[in-house]
Amino acid sequence: MSVDEVVQARSIADSAIATMRRFEIPATPANYAIWFEYHAGQSPNLQRTIDVLISNQANFNETTLQDLYATFFSSDKEVQAVREISVHALQTLQEIVGVADLASDDAQQFGHALRGIASKGLGESLGNLKSLIENLVQESKSMAGRSEYVGIRMRESAGKIEALERNLENAILDSTMDGLTGVANRKSFDAIIRKSAGEAMNSGDDLSMLMIDIDHFKNVNDTWGHQTGDVVLRHLAKTLQNAVRGGDHVARYGGEEFAVILPRTDGPAAVSVAENIRLALAREPLLVELTPPITPTTVSIGAACYDPGEPLAEWVGRADAALYSAKRDGRDRVEFNECQS
Amino acid sequence: MNARVDGEVASTAISRLCLLVDDSMLVRKIARKIFTGLGFETDEAENGQIALEKCQNRMPDVVLLDWNMPVMDGLEFLKSLRRTAGGRAPAVIFCTTETDVEHIQKALANGANEYLMKPFDQESLVAKLDMVFFCK
Repeated sequence: MSVDEVVQARSIADSAIATMRRFEIPATPANYAIWFEYHAGQSPNLQRTIDVLISNQANFNETTLQDLYATFFSSDKEVQAVREISVHALQTLQEIVGVADLASDDAQQFGHALRGIASKGLGESLGNLKSLIENLVQESKSMAGRSEYVGIRMRESAGKIEALERNLENAILDSTMDGLTGVANRKSFDAIIRKSAGEAMNSGDDLSMLMIDIDHFKNVNDTWGHQTGDVVLRHLAKTLQNAVRGGDHVARYGGEEFAVILPRTDGPAAVSVAENIRLALAREPLLVELTPPITPTTVSIGAACYDPGEPLAEWVGRADAALYSAKRDGRDRVEFNECQS
Repeated sequence: MNARVDGEVASTAISRLCLLVDDSMLVRKIARKIFTGLGFETDEAENGQIALEKCQNRMPDVVLLDWNMPVMDGLEFLKSLRRTAGGRAPAVIFCTTETDVEHIQKALANGANEYLMKPFDQESLVAKLDMVFFCK
């Protein structure tokens, strides 16, 4: 590389890293490749596609990043290598099965799981997958001829593959879920707001939002400690989940703030749901025996309907304003913000 | 009649025509309000087929195009349009709830000038219009 090329590459690298930071994108080799290409300016299609995503304030989540990688780096050797290895692994296993004369069930299950993973085309896990399969091939080969042992080892390996699949599913879930309460986290909720509003814009159906804030939560943490605070948070999350229907969404919006999205629900119905939440909390027996005794949780709730065509930030802002009014007017109540149109 | 897009004042004898192609009445209503407020003349079509007919009668300056519609969807309309319109081809802004890389790629590859994700508002739509009319 010439000095100019080195300097230029360095400048591109700096831009790539700055952009990845800006969009909170994990600095994996695959993602780095995407953003380096973007800033290098040699791939107009990649650039235009990413510019569309940026200008629409899209979330650069796992799926989008994987799709970008698969679309623009698809003739990539790593993916091919993994496919070759997994095909090779399958063939080797089939040979072993033939030699060991095993009952076909275990081997089929193992081969099926292996094929399942190989065909998913995982992004960052390619490295892990590659070494896992190489290990499996290695182990299987060295066990050839020792039939019961092969049977046991194959079952163990099948177990490893299942664990890997489960870990991947959990990893995908975790990035959208709030760890403490099990409801959606803030990041995934922003995506939910966009999706619900987009659908409401198309269908013309009503759409409402509730902003829920625990009253005097700081006092709970100060008086009884953060563990009790966590119990209160989990209890509220559970109450919210029970108060809503299947198509509704509950999220932890902030430390002690929750949000609920209610599709096909107008203002009066949303207020009704909010009142039910308030009543459900009031009806609950005391959570735990504490000294001093803890009073039932109360919440302040702000409600607002989506007005199609209004900026999403405005809709959220109106729900927040209603919440603020509820707090100001004495807490433990529901207030509704009418849209101006 | 003066047509104004974000600061530029262009005096034109005939105002620019925007064709709103979407099977949702509400989307057309919202878009119509924004475009009219910007000084555009508007026309509407609820699917790609009707949109093509409208273009044959009078070619618009810009098309706001939904993806999923009955009879003929947005992509088919766009392909037809690009085949037949030649030099008079309007600017096309896809406007859809489809937000994945594959849809964006397909739209751009088939000649969309811009891609606007729903839900949109005045600001996001004007931003796309600016891209189309100033950077075309």
